Amino acid sequence: MRNRGLGIFFAFVSALAANASATAFAQTKPPATPAKAPAADSAHDLSGVWYDDHPRPNIVMERYWIYKFAPGEPPMTSWGQAQFDAAKTSFGTHPYPLKDTNDPVYNSCAPPGFPRVYLHPFPFQIVQSPTEVILLFEYDSTRHQIYTDGRAHDTSLGPLWNGDSIGHWEGDTLVADTINFNDKTWLDRMGHPHSEQLHVIERIRRMDHDHLEVVFAFEDAKAYTKPWTARMEFRLYPKWTIQEYFCEDQTTFDDMESNEVKPLK
Amino acid sequence: MKMIYWIGLALAVAASLGISETTPAQNKKPDAAPVSPGAFDPHDLSGVWMQDRPHLQKVVERFWIYELTFEEPPMTPWGLEKFHATRSSFGTHPYPLAETNDPIYRGCAPTGFPRAFYHAFPLQIMQTPGEVIMLFEWDSMRHQIFTDGRTHDTSLGPLWMGDSIGHWEGDTLVADTVNFNDKTWLDRVGHPHSEQLHVIEHIRRADHDHLEDQITIDDPKAYTKPWSGTIVFLLHPKWTLAEEFCEDISSFEKIEKQEIAPAK
Repeated sequence: MRNRGLGIFFAFVSALAANASATAFAQTKPPATPAKAPAADSAHDLSGVWYDDHPRPNIVMERYWIYKFAPGEPPMTSWGQAQFDAAKTSFGTHPYPLKDTNDPVYNSCAPPGFPRVYLHPFPFQIVQSPTEVILLFEYDSTRHQIYTDGRAHDTSLGPLWNGDSIGHWEGDTLVADTINFNDKTWLDRMGHPHSEQLHVIERIRRMDHDHLEVVFAFEDAKAYTKPWTARMEFRLYPKWTIQEYFCEDQTTFDDMESNEVKPLK
Repeated sequence: MKMIYWIGLALAVAASLGISETTPAQNKKPDAAPVSPGAFDPHDLSGVWMQDRPHLQKVVERFWIYELTFEEPPMTPWGLEKFHATRSSFGTHPYPLAETNDPIYRGCAPTGFPRAFYHAFPLQIMQTPGEVIMLFEWDSMRHQIFTDGRTHDTSLGPLWMGDSIGHWEGDTLVADTVNFNDKTWLDRVGHPHSEQLHVIEHIRRADHDHLEDQITIDDPKAYTKPWSGTIVFLLHPKWTLAEEFCEDISSFEKIEKQEIAPAK
């Protein structure tokens, strides 16, 4: 299902270059309207399909990035530690078999939530408009919508799986601020905890044409004794499109696990 | 959270009686005509849209929240047999939720396409040079229409939402979707489709605030001939997509009551 070798995507790349002419095909001319504002100027263009292509070595400990944000343990409070100890994860150095896990994603196809979705090794696509930057994750069709139109957080919303995100540009870095989480998700794939007080700051920057950097700051006074940070890097895949990946299609999770932890050839 | 939509719908009806939302500031050439509130670019489908129909009291008058057309589509014997096996919680002869075999209300299965249009929640359209993407609030579904000239991807297995390509014919976006799996209902009443389903849409921004999608269903295994219906959407400039996950619906009876309750 994840066939990436499609040669016809050359048309997609050339379409990007021919942006200005794409709207010139109307046979009926509307009355003179001003040119539409572009979605992003070149310094603020994060659009494309991105994927974290860390190498996948054999030893689990060296592959922490497929199940948690940083090597080592984050600074948990005693509440946080208790949550973590209760999590029976199928990842990490002491994994439970899938049939014994209490991971809400593998137990019942619950949404992975944010920021956990970043750790699932599937691509995401960034699309932009003048008022938002949207990350469309292939995994479970997760949406991370960062509003950049100056609005404040929407405090009328109940707790959310993916939180409520607003952002602004600081030079070439998009700073996104997310709060208002429910407590039904794991922070990562290992079962590290978070409470409804979770506050995630992402600093997203296009390092060069082909590389995107996301620096995370996690703040949650109930779960962690102090804020802590992590960094991920993604590569542009101009020929890829994001595909369907629904939990319901995984007839046996054992397939999933062995597909994901196998080292790439 | 769902109450917001009933209030929003009422407000939208009220607002549509007055002057429409002013367009956001745009780059202006010095000699361009001033932008009037009704001006729009017909190739710009972006925004948050929702089906724009009154919510009438009688279920039979409100077919659009569960199917494409009021009339029964022309089913083949195979199609009819599949249809009779479904126990829908919608329509004129609904089953109680406890007895339905609707894959969504039984197991939170992905919605499928074009069923995603009938769930009474908004959708957001985003465009890039190579795609028109519909993002559905309901269960985070995506309908990605590639407009960069590519052909259908025959290497993909059958999909919940199908594989969509499109091109512009004047002011109309013609989208073509194939390669469906057979795990979804065509609509919320349980009309059938096979893996041969082929959906053609003619999508047109009728005016600044209205989007029309004429949907044609072509599936020789399930239907004796192609048939179509048109959905009209209203622009909601102040709305954003919220979260609407099946897992949050602790009792599906709540959804049903909220969706078919007449707007106050």
